[in-house]
Amino acid sequence: MTSMKRIFSKTRRITVGRLVGVTLASGRCFHAELVRTESSGLPIVHHSKYVCELPANHRFPMAKFPRVLHFLLQDQVITDRQVWVPEIASKDLLGAVHTEDYLNNFISGRINEQEQRRTGFPWSEGIVRRCRYETGGTVLAAEVALRRGLACSTAGGTHHAFPSYGSGFCLLNDLAVAAKYLMNSSSRRRKVLIVDLDVHQGDGTAFIFKDEPSVFTFSVHCGKNFPVRKQQSDLDISVEDGLEDEEYLSTVAEHLPWLLETFRPDLVLYDAGVDPHREDELGRLRLTDQGLYQRDLYVMKTVVKRGVPIATVIGGGYSRDIDKLALRHSIVHRAATRVWRECGM
Amino acid sequence: MMGETEAVEIDDILDDWFIESLKSYKDLHVYQLEHPTQIIEWTSGKTVCVAGYSSGKNEILELRLPLRLLADEKKGLCAERDFKVVHGGFSEGPVCCLRHIPGTRCAVTNDGLTSDLQLWDLGADDTDVIRKTGSLPGTSVSQAGSRITARLSSPPQVLHGAQSSGVQLTQLSTGQTLYRLEVDSTKPLSSLKFASPPPGECALWWTDASAASQCRVIMLSSSGQAVVSDLRNLGGALCQAQLDVQTSPRKPEDVTVAWAPALDGCFSVSGLSGLVQIYDTARWRAELQDASPLFQHAGHSVSSQHGDGSAPIFITTHVWHPERPRTLLSAASDGSVHVWDWVDPQTN
Repeated sequence: MTSMKRIFSKTRRITVGRLVGVTLASGRCFHAELVRTESSGLPIVHHSKYVCELPANHRFPMAKFPRVLHFLLQDQVITDRQVWVPEIASKDLLGAVHTEDYLNNFISGRINEQEQRRTGFPWSEGIVRRCRYETGGTVLAAEVALRRGLACSTAGGTHHAFPSYGSGFCLLNDLAVAAKYLMNSSSRRRKVLIVDLDVHQGDGTAFIFKDEPSVFTFSVHCGKNFPVRKQQSDLDISVEDGLEDEEYLSTVAEHLPWLLETFRPDLVLYDAGVDPHREDELGRLRLTDQGLYQRDLYVMKTVVKRGVPIATVIGGGYSRDIDKLALRHSIVHRAATRVWRECGM
Repeated sequence: MMGETEAVEIDDILDDWFIESLKSYKDLHVYQLEHPTQIIEWTSGKTVCVAGYSSGKNEILELRLPLRLLADEKKGLCAERDFKVVHGGFSEGPVCCLRHIPGTRCAVTNDGLTSDLQLWDLGADDTDVIRKTGSLPGTSVSQAGSRITARLSSPPQVLHGAQSSGVQLTQLSTGQTLYRLEVDSTKPLSSLKFASPPPGECALWWTDASAASQCRVIMLSSSGQAVVSDLRNLGGALCQAQLDVQTSPRKPEDVTVAWAPALDGCFSVSGLSGLVQIYDTARWRAELQDASPLFQHAGHSVSSQHGDGSAPIFITTHVWHPERPRTLLSAASDGSVHVWDWVDPQTN
């Protein structure tokens, strides 16, 4: 599959000059509508179509995605010159993880009542589009991380999606799609470590990669949180209700270094879910803002210092106060900015 | 022994229900008591009493509701999502009925075996102990437990009795019987409010006449027939409906019927299925017709299937919050206590 074919056969809103420059230099292109190769700042991946309309009073905090970007810009943590814009994830890309039947039904709206109920979303064309952009965003963040060392999406972490069905607000498994794609997109098979610190087990991802030696799934989650029916990740750490900053951090620190040492991944995908926070409506842990920040700093620093690229997604968070939630989600981007600076990236 | 497939299916049911609950409840908090309770009694807008009913020693607990539930506007600021035990004490026997005396920190209990009452001090800020302060003898004849009710009065009084003939009004501080009901009947009472007892034949009937502003009483039979009447004309039916009954209640205490204090025309039932059901009588007519619940709380039965496959659980009691229109508390035989604020499905 040549990159030249991609430039001329598809129409995309790309600044062609930059893309051609990148392609000729590296022989690789990004799944992007807009690239920022000239920016020396931390790459942020965002698309305005990460959102869609939902029925009034729907529990999923859809409005948080643009608010995350808003706060990062407002607080001058980043500038818009750092923002890469992803392409929508193609059926091909999605088909490496999801079944053809599910994709066809999902895209054309043939998901039945029962299946819709389990996802928590009523089907709409908008929801299909936003999930595909979100997945595209995670793929792009991973691609950019491979080039730059670190990249952060303002969405992502839909780890409850299985190959043939969605669940728990997840319709497509973005981490799995990104891992599968990056695993295979180089001449030598890449090893991918998925670090999932969302308070809910990454059951979909665990299931998808249970027989795949090149992808290691690591999940730290609260045992009593959804789902009750757990899958088996390569490493599951189930923690008790009410766990606080210090103990949580030492739990992560107990496992991450030796995982990196023994598995030796070529890429880390990090789900920095903020639902372990004490104010999260669904999560049963008691982390503070500081705790989340220290956690994210620790994970990214540990990985970056070993010279391993890392891409982050925001993961889960549930609150009726969208602004507070968005600020919480922006913690990982702030921590990443510090890592970017301190590690001279 | 439960097969692995069954266990997985039950897990799935619970997960499905959890996702569904995000939409059907505004709030839902789950608490697990060490021992089940069959009473939930408000002692303030934020606290309830629960108590065990096993044959030996039992705990009486005063629980404070999760602050997050009560913090309507600033939910994000409130991390306290758990019930908190604020006072506790021990009873020598089962607690089958517990009434808080309004305007005081006193409660009155009955053990379901005799008609005697026990008096308790629920404790104040300076102590976390609920202690027994005395007892009141009931009429000696009865071998069944007494029902108790109280209303704001000064000095405090309770109305109690096990049978229609044994109902008496007693002044708490002196133990003096102020009034005794002169009725020639030994029919067991299943509930007692400051209203007339229900008409009953062979079937068991339960009533709630607390919708005082509308003078309405709801009467429910053990076969599921629900009749709404005017308190001043108990013989006539304003409207009625046939509810779906799945469990045959064995004892009067099994069933609870209550008008919603702040939701016109709505009432709740537990004990006729494994759920708490809420009905809206607005569209009921004078002719008997089937009625479907407006809302059903399945939380107890869904989570209980997740146990060791023993006897199906049943709802022991439930109450409405006195002011918040859609907030209820319910307790089940597995020790679970839920407080939930449901979303009116009709608003979607």
